[in-house]
Amino acid sequence: MPASHELSVRGTPVQMLQDGSGPPLLFLHGAGGAGRWLAFQERLAKDFSVYFPSHPGHGGSPAAEWIEHISDLAFHYLDLLDELDLERVHLVGASFGGWIAAEIATMASHRLASLVLIDPVGIRVDGWIYPFLFGMDIPEIVTTIFQNPMAALALAPPDQSVETLALQYRQGAALARVSWNPYLYNPLLRRRLGRISAPTLLCWGAHDKLAPLAPCGETWAREIAGARLRVFDESGHVPHLEEPDAVAEAIGEFCRLREGAA
Amino acid sequence: MKFYYFHLMPYYMDHDAPSSWVTLSNRLYDPALGHTLYNQYLDQLEYAERLGWDGLCVNEHHQNCYGTMPSPNVMAAMLVRRTTTAKIAILGNGLPLRENPLRIAEEIAMLDVASGGRVISGFVRGISAEYFSTGVNPTQSRDRFYEAAELILRSWTEEGPFPFDGRFYRYHYVNPWPRPIQKPHPPVWCPSQGSSETVEWAAKRRFPYLMVFTPIKRIAQIYGEYREACERNGYKASRYQLTVNVPIVVAESDAKARELAKKHVMWVFNTGLRMHPPFWRPPGYMTEASLRRVLANPPKLPSELEFEEADREGYLIYGSAATVRDKLRVFSDELKAGILCSGMTGPSHEETLEMMQRFSEEVMPHFREDANVDETAGVGR
Repeated sequence: MPASHELSVRGTPVQMLQDGSGPPLLFLHGAGGAGRWLAFQERLAKDFSVYFPSHPGHGGSPAAEWIEHISDLAFHYLDLLDELDLERVHLVGASFGGWIAAEIATMASHRLASLVLIDPVGIRVDGWIYPFLFGMDIPEIVTTIFQNPMAALALAPPDQSVETLALQYRQGAALARVSWNPYLYNPLLRRRLGRISAPTLLCWGAHDKLAPLAPCGETWAREIAGARLRVFDESGHVPHLEEPDAVAEAIGEFCRLREGAA
Repeated sequence: MKFYYFHLMPYYMDHDAPSSWVTLSNRLYDPALGHTLYNQYLDQLEYAERLGWDGLCVNEHHQNCYGTMPSPNVMAAMLVRRTTTAKIAILGNGLPLRENPLRIAEEIAMLDVASGGRVISGFVRGISAEYFSTGVNPTQSRDRFYEAAELILRSWTEEGPFPFDGRFYRYHYVNPWPRPIQKPHPPVWCPSQGSSETVEWAAKRRFPYLMVFTPIKRIAQIYGEYREACERNGYKASRYQLTVNVPIVVAESDAKARELAKKHVMWVFNTGLRMHPPFWRPPGYMTEASLRRVLANPPKLPSELEFEEADREGYLIYGSAATVRDKLRVFSDELKAGILCSGMTGPSHEETLEMMQRFSEEVMPHFREDANVDETAGVGR
C-alpha cells in the first residue's frame, strides 16, 4: 500500500501517493487518473521510488486558482521536485500528464534522468484534431479512450454521491482551465520539443483513438531527437491501464539502461 | 404591470437527433422557410407595439432550432426603424462570448441613439451550450462576464479615450462613438437562472432580474433572494426590477388553449431544449457552490418535462382570457413581478396574431393601473 502525503508546494496543497524503493520516479497522471494506485504503479514500485501526486483540482489536491496555463503546471512540478529535494528523476507522464511532462522536459531536461511519455497530448499535429471529450457522454468517452472497455472499470467512480459528482466536476474544470481552447495542446510546445535532451521513450497504444499513433505518435517520435517509440498492440489511449505489466516492464528496462549509462 | 413581447424566433421542427443544440446539423435548416419565419416573427413583434405592448424582446442563442437569433442586435436594428414607442429589450448579449465586448457597447449605443433612447441592454453569460458553439472557455465565463460588463459600463459613462487593462480584455483607447442617448446609460437587465452570485451582482447595481421558463416556486424563491440582496445594498427593490418570462397561450376556451399549449409550448421544452447531457454542464461554468445546490435538488431536464407537471408547476400560462387573467394575478399580485416578458404561439402566423389581439383586448387592460408609470425610471442603472 502506498503512503499518502499532504505537501505544500509554494503554498499550493498537494496530495501525493508514494511507495517503492530505487531511483526516484515522478508519475504524472492523466484526466481521471488521480490517486489511482493500480497494477501499473505497483509494478513500477518494484524498481523505483514512485512519487504520484494529484494535479491541483484532481483527486485529493484542492483546486488552485492561480493555474491557468499548462506551463503553470510544469513550473508547479519543478517546484515539487525542489520541495522533495529530488535533483534528478525519471519522469513518466500519461496523456494529459504526458503533456505536462513534455513541457517540463522543454524547460529543464537536466532534471530528468529519463522521460517517458505514454500517449501524450499537448502538441498540434498536422492532419489531426483531437476528438472533443468535453462534449461526450461517458460511453462515448470510454469508447474513445479504451481499446478494452473493461479496463475503464478501474477508473469508474465509486458512487453517484454529491461528493463524488462534485469531485468529477472539479477535475473537469481543472482540466478545462488549461486545455479547453486550444483543446489539449499548447501551440508553442511542438517547436520547443527540439530542446528535450533527456533520453525519451514514447509508449503508444496501437488503437489510440484520441491521439492515434499515426499521425500523433509518429509526429512526437520525429520531433524529439533520438526518442524510442514502443507500440502496445492491445491498447487504446491508456496502455498503462490496458497493459500495465508490459508498459511498466518497458519503462523499467529503458530507465535501467539510462541508470547504467549514467 | 408592463407587458413586453418576447420572441425566441424558433425553427419549429421534429427530429430524432439527441440534441437540438450544437450538433443538430444545419443541413436541416431551410433558408427559404427561414425567410418566411423571420419576416412573420418581425411582423408579430411590430404588431405587438400596435396592440399596446410596452416593449419588444429579442435574445441571443447559437447553433440550435430553439431560437434562431445568433445576433439579437441585428433583429433589434430592424425593430428600431419599424417601431416608434416600444422599448427594445435585448435579453441579452452574451458578454463572455465576445472576443471584443467593446463591440457590444458600440452596437447598443448605435441602437439607443437611432431609437431615441428606447433600448434596454440585457447582459447575459450565454447558456451552457453556447460554450460549445463558440469555443470560449467555460471556466472563464463568470470572470469574463464581470470584466466585460465593467468595460461596457465604463465606456458608456466615462469620457474617452481611456485605457483598459483587464485580464481578458485590453485596450489602449476606449472611446466608442456614438455614446448612448440614455443617461447615464441604457437600462441593463440580467436574465439569469438564479445563481446566487448573479442575484447579488444584479441587485447591487439595481439591474432588473429576469427569470425565464422557470417554475413558480423557484421564481418566488429567487425573487425573495433578490429583494433581500437589494435590502442588504440599502434600498427596496422596485417592482420593475422583477421581471418574468412565462409562455402564454390564450384562446376562446380553456380546452382549446390547453390543446395549443400542449403542442406548441411543450415543443419549446421537449424539443427546443433537448440537449446532449454534456452540453448542459460544461466544466467550470458553475461555481462549485452552485453545482452543489443543483445536485442537492436536481431540476428536471426540460426534455423530460411532461405537460401535466409543467402545468402544475406554473412553467406556462394557458386558458381563456378569463383564466389567463386569473393565472396572471399570481404573477402580478403574489410574486409582484412588474414586467411580463412573454411571447405567445399559435398554430400559424395568422392565429398567433389573433391570439396576441385577444390578449391585448381581454387580458392586458385588466393590469394597467400603472399605465402612466415609466418602468425604466431609476432602475437598470
